Amino acid sequence: MDARSHERARSPHHGLVIAARSLFCVLVPLSLVGAVAGGLLRACTAPPPPTLPSWIAAAALSHAALMICGFLGSVVALERAVAVGRGAAFLAPLASGLGGALLLAGQVRAAAFAIVAAAAVFVVVNIVLVRRQRAAHTRLLLGGAVAWLVGSALYAGGANGPAVLPWWFAFLVATIAAERLEMTRLTGRGLAVERSLRLVMATLFGGAVVASFSAAMGAALFGTALVLLAAWLFLHDIARRTLFTHGLSRYMAVCLLTGYGWLAAAGVGWIGMGAGLPLHDLALHALGLGFVVSMMMAHAPVILPAIARVRLRFGWAFYVPLVALHVSLVVRLGPGLGLGDALVRGLGATLNAASLALFAATIAGAVLAWRLMHAGEEAARAGARRRRPASRLH
Amino acid sequence: MSDLPAAPFPYDGPEDLRAGIVAALKRVIDPEVAMSIVDVGLVYGVAVDDRELRVTMTMTSAACPVTDVIVDDAWHELARVVPSSIELDIDIVWEPPWTPDRMSERGRRIMGW
Repeated sequence: MDARSHERARSPHHGLVIAARSLFCVLVPLSLVGAVAGGLLRACTAPPPPTLPSWIAAAALSHAALMICGFLGSVVALERAVAVGRGAAFLAPLASGLGGALLLAGQVRAAAFAIVAAAAVFVVVNIVLVRRQRAAHTRLLLGGAVAWLVGSALYAGGANGPAVLPWWFAFLVATIAAERLEMTRLTGRGLAVERSLRLVMATLFGGAVVASFSAAMGAALFGTALVLLAAWLFLHDIARRTLFTHGLSRYMAVCLLTGYGWLAAAGVGWIGMGAGLPLHDLALHALGLGFVVSMMMAHAPVILPAIARVRLRFGWAFYVPLVALHVSLVVRLGPGLGLGDALVRGLGATLNAASLALFAATIAGAVLAWRLMHAGEEAARAGARRRRPASRLH
Repeated sequence: MSDLPAAPFPYDGPEDLRAGIVAALKRVIDPEVAMSIVDVGLVYGVAVDDRELRVTMTMTSAACPVTDVIVDDAWHELARVVPSSIELDIDIVWEPPWTPDRMSERGRRIMGW
C-alpha cells in the first residue's frame, strides 16, 4: 500500500502528465508576461511605438483578464488540482491558460468561453474538496470558485469592468482568506473568529452582487469588506506569531502583514471610487499587486515545490523583490496618485514590473542554489536500493 | 485526546527504533507555521515490523497542495534512521479529521494558547 491507499485511485498516464506539465510551464508565464506588458502599456502615457506587436495591444486591452484569469486563476487552479489529486482537475488550469493565450492572440470571445469553462471545472473540483472535508475554509474556497465563475460569465456576456472586477477580486480574496482562516485553527480560537469572517465575506460577496446594479454602491460595500478583512487579519492571523520565528516562516509573515496593509489601502480606494473619487489605481493595484502579489511572494517558496516539483533554497535574497514591490507601490500609489502625475505613475508601474521580474530571477536563483547544494545527494539517492514513495499523482 | 502516550503518537514496534522515528518525524516541518508535523498533531500512528514501517497521518486541510512535499520529507527523514530492509509507507487519511486539540504542548505554546 502506498500513500494513495486511502484515496480513490486516479493516475493519468505518465507521458500525459509530462506533456501537461510542459504546457503549464509555457502557458502560465505567457499570461503573466502578457499581463505585465499590457499593464505597462496602459500605465505609461508615452505614445506606443508604431511597430508595436499586436499581442501587446491585445494584452493592454485584456490586462485584467490576463492577470486574474490567465495567470492567477491558472496558478490557483493548479494548486487545487494538485491538492485534490485527480487528473481531470487539471482541465481547469489548462482551460484558463489557453484562455490567456487566446487573449494575447486577440481572440477575446473564445478566450472568455475558455475562462468560463475553467471556472466551471474549478467549481466542481472545489465541491469534491468540500465533500472530502466539510469545514468553513473549504466552503469559502468553493465560494471563491463560484465568484470566479460568476465574474467570468458576466465577462463573457459583455459586462463592463465595474461589474466583473468585484467578482474576480472576490475569487482571489476569498481564496486567500480561506487559507488564512484554516491557519487560525491552530490558535485554538477557530470557531470564534470564523463567525466574524463569515460576516466580512458576506459583505464582500454582497458588494460584488450590488456592483452589477450600482457600480458606486457596490464599490463602497466591496471596499468596506476589504478594510474589515484587513482588520480581521491583523487581529487574528498567525502571522503575528510566526513573525517572531526565523528563516522562511518569518519571511512569509513579513509578506503577509505588509500585504494586509495594502489590503486596507485598497479598501479605502474602493470606497473612494464609490464616492466618485479618482482612486481607481489605488483600488485595483493596492489589491492586485500590494495584497495578492505579496501573498504570492509569501507562498512561492512553498507552493513551487508542490506544483512544479522544483525544490528551492530560501535565503535573505527573497526580501529584495519584496522591498522593491512595496517601494514601487508607494511611488505609484503615493505621488503617482496624489499628484495626479501620470509620469510618476508610469514610473511606479515600471518599477512594479521590475519587482516582478526581480522576483522571478530570485526564484530561478533559488532553484539553482538548491540544485548546486544537493548535487551530491541526488546521485546518492538515485543509487539507493529503496523504492521511493509513489506520489498521489506521478 | 489528552491521554498522550510516552511517544507523542501511538507507536507499535521495536523500542530501539522508537526514539529515532519520533526524532525523524519531528524534523518534518511545515514552514508556514514553523512547527513539525508531530507538534501540529498530524501523525495518527506508526507501526513497525521487520518488513515495513507504516505511518498513518493526516493534513489540516484537504485543499493543501503541499501534501506530497511533506510526505516526501517524512519519507526521507525516516529513511535516514530505519534499516534499508524495512519498506516505508506513509498513508494520508482524512478520518478522523484533524482537530486543534491534537496539537502538542509545545505546539500550543508556539501558537499562544
